[in-house]
Amino acid sequence: MRLPQFDYHAPETLDEALKLKGELGSAAPILAGGTDLVVNLKHRLSSPAAIISLRNIKEMRGIEVKPDALVIRAGTSLVETVGNAAVREHFPILVKAVESLGAMGIQHYRGTIGGNLCLTPRCLLYNQSHFWRTGKGSCHRTGGRECLALEGSESCQAICSGDTVPVFVALSAQLTLAGPGGKRMVPISDFYTGKGESPFTIAPDEILTDIRVPIPWGPLSWSYRRIGIRAAVDFPLINAACTAIPDKGVIGSFRLVLGAAGPSPVIMREAETAFKGKEPDPTMVTMAGEMAKRAVEGIIVENASASKDYRVKMAAVAARRAVQEALALS
Amino acid sequence: MKKHLLSMTVNGDVVDVAVEPNTTLLEVLRDDMALLGVKEGCSEGVCGACTVLMNGNPIRSCLTPALEADGTEILTIEGLASDGKLHPVQEAFVKSGAIQCGFCTPGMILSTKALLDRTPSPSDEEIKNALAGNFCRCTGYTKILDAVRAASNGGSAKVDVHRKE
Repeated sequence: MRLPQFDYHAPETLDEALKLKGELGSAAPILAGGTDLVVNLKHRLSSPAAIISLRNIKEMRGIEVKPDALVIRAGTSLVETVGNAAVREHFPILVKAVESLGAMGIQHYRGTIGGNLCLTPRCLLYNQSHFWRTGKGSCHRTGGRECLALEGSESCQAICSGDTVPVFVALSAQLTLAGPGGKRMVPISDFYTGKGESPFTIAPDEILTDIRVPIPWGPLSWSYRRIGIRAAVDFPLINAACTAIPDKGVIGSFRLVLGAAGPSPVIMREAETAFKGKEPDPTMVTMAGEMAKRAVEGIIVENASASKDYRVKMAAVAARRAVQEALALS
Repeated sequence: MKKHLLSMTVNGDVVDVAVEPNTTLLEVLRDDMALLGVKEGCSEGVCGACTVLMNGNPIRSCLTPALEADGTEILTIEGLASDGKLHPVQEAFVKSGAIQCGFCTPGMILSTKALLDRTPSPSDEEIKNALAGNFCRCTGYTKILDAVRAASNGGSAKVDVHRKE
């Protein structure tokens, strides 16, 4: 499969990249590792005028340890992230999520953390070759006005499939977006719009530069669960990240986040409210499963390689397992 | 579209090629340099047939725009044997019968080399993890695992490569 024609820029600094982004906007997507973008270009899901490669920008790579947080530059490769001593010490949940993501030879050396967070939302009816798609009508993302997966839907229901997304949401990460007017920070939960056709709150002239992960205030217990078909090449059918910090015998802080359900990660506020301040109890496992099922029933649609019913059922399974492991319940 | 100059080291030789930005590394290696051991399978990063080593790391040449390889060292299957002698990993694949049609073999061998360079005595789990992104539709993988074990440090003693099943 050939790539469409485009111009190529490989600026040396972030300022140069921002200048190019300011001039070209959405006509020039960012190329970090390319493991998502290049496939999408081959499928003609977009045909940009140019691409802006991050390969020469040293300031986009590396991990900085600050007293209260870890700052991961968006262009840091997956393999460098999991090999970093500070990440391994403070956030083993992130290591687990990255290690369960794809295959070494596909994503780990080329793929980046920022790229995983900005993974284009996926849909079984969209992520196909141009030839395949010509057999279907157009959808919200291909110039049409309907969603092929959900009749009557006013926006695209494609799935936010990044493995690290629920993990960073559970860790309350903040993202730095650099633009012509300077840098701004957004909580990661606000980064995802819930609309597949415009999935991120990032302006066309902005670049995601850093992911700031606050170091937990107490001993963090955690769990990451991923349910998929063939781990090495398949995106998750559903994944769940759970973090908890005990405080004087009760659950002081709690987060349960489901990923790969709909266009944005699902934060289980109901579980958070129900479990915080209580002693860990085995009934919480069943409760979390029921809450997860209720939460995703209206979100999951028929647009992945497994049926809606199966994914809803697996959301409950992933939530149960994640809560069980994170709270060390039997 | 305007061509850009790409300068990289391929199998030990410095090469300069003028390429259009939409050329993949796979296309440069196969079409411009006639390195036909780099196979185009799925062309979308799933099957692993196009694996080459970039600075010692296994990557998908079909997913890598050629210009991203500027200044890097690329190793393809053609660069493994030296002085007419096969590389030990190649030797192990031959002796273990880990080849049927051979289409996935260059990618398998390069992924194995990258693994063994880092972890000379990998566990079965580590082998499976390292080769998880390389598909073989013929062998059922058993012989390939045998070959990797045979190529690893002290592995040859554990595997009877001539066994009959």
